[in-house]
Amino acid sequence: MAFLSHTDDLFDSILMADDRFHTQGYRDGFEEGSREGTMEGRHHGALHGARLSAEVSFYHGFALAWKFLIQNHEEVKARKQLKAVESLVGLIQRFPHEDPQYENLQEDTAKIRAKFRQVCSLLNVVADFREYVGGSSQMSF
Amino acid sequence: MKDTLAILHRLSAHPESRCWYVAWHPLGALLASCGGDRAVRIWGKEGDDWVCKCALSDGHQRTVRKVAWSPCGHYLASASFDATTCIWKMTNDDFECLTVLEGHENEVKCVAWASSGHLLATCSRDKSVWIWEVDEEDEYECVSVVNSHTQDVKHVVWHPTQELLASASYDNKVCIYKEEDDDWECRATLEGHTSTVWSLSFDPEGQRLASCSDDRTVKIWKECTSGEDEDSTDGAWKCVCTLSGFHGRTVYDVSWCHLTGALATACGDDGVRVFKEDAAADPRHPAFYLSAHVPKAHNQDVNCVAWHPKEAGLLATCSDNGEIAIWNYQSDA
Repeated sequence: MAFLSHTDDLFDSILMADDRFHTQGYRDGFEEGSREGTMEGRHHGALHGARLSAEVSFYHGFALAWKFLIQNHEEVKARKQLKAVESLVGLIQRFPHEDPQYENLQEDTAKIRAKFRQVCSLLNVVADFREYVGGSSQMSF
Repeated sequence: MKDTLAILHRLSAHPESRCWYVAWHPLGALLASCGGDRAVRIWGKEGDDWVCKCALSDGHQRTVRKVAWSPCGHYLASASFDATTCIWKMTNDDFECLTVLEGHENEVKCVAWASSGHLLATCSRDKSVWIWEVDEEDEYECVSVVNSHTQDVKHVVWHPTQELLASASYDNKVCIYKEEDDDWECRATLEGHTSTVWSLSFDPEGQRLASCSDDRTVKIWKECTSGEDEDSTDGAWKCVCTLSGFHGRTVYDVSWCHLTGALATACGDDGVRVFKEDAAADPRHPAFYLSAHVPKAHNQDVNCVAWHPKEAGLLATCSDNGEIAIWNYQSDA
């Protein structure tokens, strides 16, 4: 019996080589692919994360600077402007920029962008900051 | 059909261009039109004829897509593809550009005044809806920018009495907005059309909203009130009727007559249709029937239908061929 099974193994190793190498190759390829995919994903995420953070940080700096400029003005108009600016600051501070898996990320980003445009309109600032601002063209993932 | 829609006048309003929209002055003596020739024209009746009283041609750099009169009748707003909205003040049949509202990134598609006259809404291809507040000194201030649509916003309309705004979009949806803590928010999204929603019109009481679409249908939506339906929530809107099979092409505009309750539509098959509500139908499931139909009302797409605010049955339409037509609708029912 032992002899028989030995020949079985012998032929098996030849006959099944194709299958064995296929499995081995799949495993190796899968590992390498996973590694490369992770790196590519990390790069893609870093790029978009940086872009979004730069945009939101730009709004933050813009809002804080204007808040400082108008906070001591007493006119009704400046009060209204300040209220909108503070509302923008509030939206940015509540924005969970450290949680990339936050489910309302797109929605909240859209809210910040909309508030920024209202603030620009109220302040009479031309919102032409194409370098920083995400427009109506959506981010592509 | 015993009911009739008879032509009264036909005017070449924007020759060699398109006439996009017409709007009756709240008192009904004037009609404003706008078109691809970048002009707004004001029409008035002299004797038996309609004549151009005034042309506002220096306000916009591109097509003027919509015009709207303020409820008081002293102001006219014009929305243009040049990304701006002009506010004109009327003094003794003369118009002066009071202010230019800027802020939209590109083409402004529609402008509408709230019934109070203190709020104005604009919408654009940039997917946003802007709400402006008007103060006593004729100053306009943006109170909110809302990004609820994912595509071009085609139309905005205010509720006839409440501060409730509706918008229609290329994303096939209708959104309803209300003010919430100093900001305007989308409170309801009406889904059902399978293609671009082009226009909207509230019924006289503001309980129902008609929407018309590129999917060749008109839908009637009703606000759900609690208690009426076990699975409905307050503020939600439900489609209670779909008018399908009547239109051969895109339905570009719908207008609900606030005097007679008749519903008129403007269609891409060059036809104008008037629908009446079946009085015997269950109010929860309203039914409409085609009361009058003029197949070739214009020789190109009909872009707009507008019922006269004071004279029942008087209807203005305009078309891609630059014409305005004024009709008299008569119904036995």
